[in-house]
Amino acid sequence: MVDVLASEWRKLRSVRSTLYVLGTVAAFLLLCALWCWYLRGYWDGLTPERQAHAKAAAAAQPLLLALPVCGTVLGAVAITSEYATGMIRASLAAVPRRGTLFAAKAAVVGALMLGAGVVSMAAAALVGEAIVGKRPIPAFEMPLADQAAHVLSFGLLTAATALMAFGAGAVLRSTAGTISTLLALLLVLPPVLNLLPGPWGDRLWAVLPASLAEQMALAPGASPDSGPLSPAVACGVLVAYIAVALGAGAFSFIRRDS
Amino acid sequence: MRRDPSRSTVDGMIEVHELTKRYGGTVAVDGLSFRVRPGSVTGFLGPNGAGKSTTMRVLLGLDAATSGEALIDGGRYRDLRRPMLSVGALLDAGAVHGGRSAFDHLGWLARSNGLGTARVAAVLERVGLAGVARKRVGGFSLGMRQRLGIAAALLGDPGVLLFDEPVNGLDPDGVRWIRELMRTLAAEGRTVLISSHLMSEMELTADQLVIIGRGRLIADTSVRELAERFRRGVLVRTPRPADLIGVLTTAGGIVDTTPVGVGVRTDAGNAAFTVTGLDVTQIGDRAAAHGIPLYEVTPRSASLEEAYMELTAADTEYGALGRTPAAARGDA
Repeated sequence: MVDVLASEWRKLRSVRSTLYVLGTVAAFLLLCALWCWYLRGYWDGLTPERQAHAKAAAAAQPLLLALPVCGTVLGAVAITSEYATGMIRASLAAVPRRGTLFAAKAAVVGALMLGAGVVSMAAAALVGEAIVGKRPIPAFEMPLADQAAHVLSFGLLTAATALMAFGAGAVLRSTAGTISTLLALLLVLPPVLNLLPGPWGDRLWAVLPASLAEQMALAPGASPDSGPLSPAVACGVLVAYIAVALGAGAFSFIRRDS
Repeated sequence: MRRDPSRSTVDGMIEVHELTKRYGGTVAVDGLSFRVRPGSVTGFLGPNGAGKSTTMRVLLGLDAATSGEALIDGGRYRDLRRPMLSVGALLDAGAVHGGRSAFDHLGWLARSNGLGTARVAAVLERVGLAGVARKRVGGFSLGMRQRLGIAAALLGDPGVLLFDEPVNGLDPDGVRWIRELMRTLAAEGRTVLISSHLMSEMELTADQLVIIGRGRLIADTSVRELAERFRRGVLVRTPRPADLIGVLTTAGGIVDTTPVGVGVRTDAGNAAFTVTGLDVTQIGDRAAAHGIPLYEVTPRSASLEEAYMELTAADTEYGALGRTPAAARGDA
């Protein structure tokens, strides 16, 4: 298993698509810094009355949008590119124990995006602290220690999107199909569900993957009642998404001809 | 490294037994049985779509057999923990990620089987890619990709090697290089199975032949036996055809006077015909005994190319009827 993990890690880090995804994360972190810098200047120019009522997006806002997309792309490409190039046959000839190969692939994909998510979110929090400082803007008032839980929960969501895309990719074996399916789930479904009447819109929205991170841990600037799920339940739902996607992926990967 | 083929009865042996593989309603391989032994190059021949690649995929555990089994060293490939140390395979040279360097591609392969970068450097050297090891594979020609695929197969220094169409896309130098490499690998005591749809290539490379068509075995034979089987009599040229035909017919020969093909001159004053049932010595002796001059006595056989075309064409037309008795018994 150690050999297979090392092999999959080498495979993942030796393609440009991985660098592009991590580069995109870095670019969005830069955008966070630019946003904070712009906000500081804007805030300082406001009258005290307007400052009292001002609202602004949190420092990590650009990353909140980018990380699930980056996770989706990396998770999907990690498996579908092997089917697209036919290299999956070389991989399975080298490691015929399919369960082991699938688990090793999932582990390196999940670990990389968990790391990218946590590191970039933590960096965004520090950047916000460094640039905006003690200005009493609602989304920037949460102490760094309190932000740690949200950093971690969003890192988990990033890893989850990568693993869901990875599992879906093992079933669909198509890059375009996998990425569109995941982006529909992550980005298209939430606003569509908002159109549903009454409590059903809210209830369904609450169990969508994109809504889970803020129910697992309070986001900076968010109101304490961000959703109907408790942190533990939200975390359980997220784990269930991962389990279903990886289960279906593993079944397809192990049973079907390649 | 020289290998000892007598280590055990199944060591280095490829055994395909009553293998059948269906994809939906299509039968790709149909009750196929054959064995491949160490120490020689075995050509795995058949027209496109005959089931060669499918058989190789099942051997490597990539596709599951519908029924029957395909064993290497007496076991299933899927049960091997570090398969590259016993079996090396080149299935599709194009199936590499163009963004990786040759070194990285072989690097992840080596790492998955616990092999170090020293082996990677060694095989890159052996296939002549050491100079482009850090270049991206996407920029490689098909010939370079074939070499990279062969390097991957050799990484674990395995005793059994499978190559699917290794000479496709190679220039004459590359073809000769592969031919010599295959022969060297077999001479080291390894089992070498090469699939191809080109008889002319296998004629120069292989010792043994497994010929299939429509997923069924047509012939399991040696190159020499196949040439024997398609012996086409003796071409005889003489200025006294009528006399010689009389003599040879009396001696039990069967004479065919139909024109014998391109390149055979039949001038006025001499005639050529084909004799079967008598060999060169017998014909010469009879002619000498009767004082009949001979201008030419040449044993003729169909080229292996023609033999192959004939075998596979028969299979295409008549299906199972095309199987020879020897092939149907599955003996080697």
